[in-house]
Amino acid sequence: MDVEPILKVTNLTKKFGNLVAVNRASFEVNHGEIVGLIGPNGAGKTTLFNAISGLYRPEEGTIFFKGMNITNWLPHKICKLGMSRTFQVTRAFTHMTVEDTVRVGAYNRFNEKNVQDKVDQVIKVCDLVDIRKRVCEDLGLASLRKVELARALATEPVMLLLDEAGAGLNATELAAFMDLIKKLNQESQITFCVVEHVMQMVMGLCQQIVVLDSGEIIASGTPNQISNNVRVIEAYLGKRAVHARNQ
Amino acid sequence: MNVKNIFNPRNILILIGVGIALAIPLMFNASQYVMLLMTTVLLYAILASAWNIIGGMAGQLDLAAAAYLGLGAFTTGTLLIRWNITPWVGMFLGGLVATALAMLIGFPLFGFKVKELWYALSSSALVVVLQSLFMMWNEVGGPTEKYLPIGTSPWYSLRFNNYMPYYYIMLIILVVVLLVNRWIRYSKLGYSLMALGEDEDAVEVLGVNSQSSKLKALAIYAFICGVVGGIFASIYGYVHPAFFDTSMSMEITILGIVGGMGFIYGPALAAIIMVSFREILRASLGSQLAGLYLAVYAIILIVVALYQPRGIAPLVERGLKKAQTYFVELTRGRRADIKSH
Repeated sequence: MDVEPILKVTNLTKKFGNLVAVNRASFEVNHGEIVGLIGPNGAGKTTLFNAISGLYRPEEGTIFFKGMNITNWLPHKICKLGMSRTFQVTRAFTHMTVEDTVRVGAYNRFNEKNVQDKVDQVIKVCDLVDIRKRVCEDLGLASLRKVELARALATEPVMLLLDEAGAGLNATELAAFMDLIKKLNQESQITFCVVEHVMQMVMGLCQQIVVLDSGEIIASGTPNQISNNVRVIEAYLGKRAVHARNQ
Repeated sequence: MNVKNIFNPRNILILIGVGIALAIPLMFNASQYVMLLMTTVLLYAILASAWNIIGGMAGQLDLAAAAYLGLGAFTTGTLLIRWNITPWVGMFLGGLVATALAMLIGFPLFGFKVKELWYALSSSALVVVLQSLFMMWNEVGGPTEKYLPIGTSPWYSLRFNNYMPYYYIMLIILVVVLLVNRWIRYSKLGYSLMALGEDEDAVEVLGVNSQSSKLKALAIYAFICGVVGGIFASIYGYVHPAFFDTSMSMEITILGIVGGMGFIYGPALAAIIMVSFREILRASLGSQLAGLYLAVYAIILIVVALYQPRGIAPLVERGLKKAQTYFVELTRGRRADIKSH
């Protein structure tokens, strides 16, 4: 079972009218890995995430998660199976407290009797104890990113999709956030797929990197392979950068 | 639980409120006008509190309260008129009929994630459609009032010659509805609904089935409206398609918003203040300005939207918190005094 990839996306296509946001994308994520999904703005990373997590219905292709075909499943069912996510622009429940926000996620696998224990545990793990009674609209970006991770974590996922969770954080906050993800990956065996612009985070965290450009996957491999890949450099810096590198 | 926890300002306020509510009929020598007014206030308080579940918590701008109320009224009325079935049974059947229709409408609307303005429009259309239907359906409705028979026992036909029994029935229902509100608010359904009211996609990826959560909320709301509709018919002693009243639906929504979306007692509090106020306006300004109260409502709504967008309940909460700290300090101070002696 573990030999099979936990997530297998095959020939996934998502169109908006005439715009092909994701074009026949195929990639795999193995159990226990942290995989980075990178690409220039508008490459289709978030669209791909939305399709995987069930918020969008893809036009073509299949998504297998834990050996099951979850293509066109509803988001809450995918979550029940063990996948949750965060959002690029934080989508906090503005008028709810941190604790109540986490509780919404915790109800995924816990009932009224033991939900509080799960909430307490997640709040502790994500270092939210001091602000647990605060209302989300009063929180700063770094805290909101943690709250989003916490509420997704409370659903007890085996796989988490993080959409630019590092964006807007300062160096200290980013380091703490990366440590948390590493810890969750090692101790709780959670598989991560992260969309990220912050290269420090991608290079520091990911074992595998998938590069998306204009809706197509142009490269995949280890961080080292990717940073030397000609097509990747071209996508990010243009053709001239490739020439400059070759001279 | 220690004494301090029981006698906090919140519980004292609740006790005072319940005490006043129980004593009102005795205070005014049971003047029929005051009794009808207070019963109407309770009616609105119940409907606004029920609305709180679908509107305040789930954030669906529902404008169909009068549709479910009217269905409950017609079910109860027709059962009594045609088959002499007591309204005590009729009102619950009315609640079920209202719930059934709500499910029929809610299923596609929530499936397609119809929200905000579009949901408001679709739900308000329901009131108008039902009014036209019942106007044409002569066996049950029709353009003339269908009167409910008084029968042999007023308790069987729920037809009293004064308003006091209705007042107490409404009071009991209000307490039950507030308890239901409280129970939902602090359960899985309540947390899911509160979050759904903020961001539907974000809640769904946390394992919440938005459609079924909202359907549950809508079902409870429609059921309460239907039950109250049965009593509504009994109070007025007839059923008429005018019960499907768009402005009443609008008013209930306004009360829910002004009271404080998602706050358990907020809508009831708003109903008590605003409906009493409306009736006073109506009594003092008389018939020449019959629709004025809606204009006053609109002004209050605008003022609340500008200065207190989350409704009046957060304001009360802040006051209560202050009172609480004052209270705690007071009891502590007293203890310190005792110790120092």
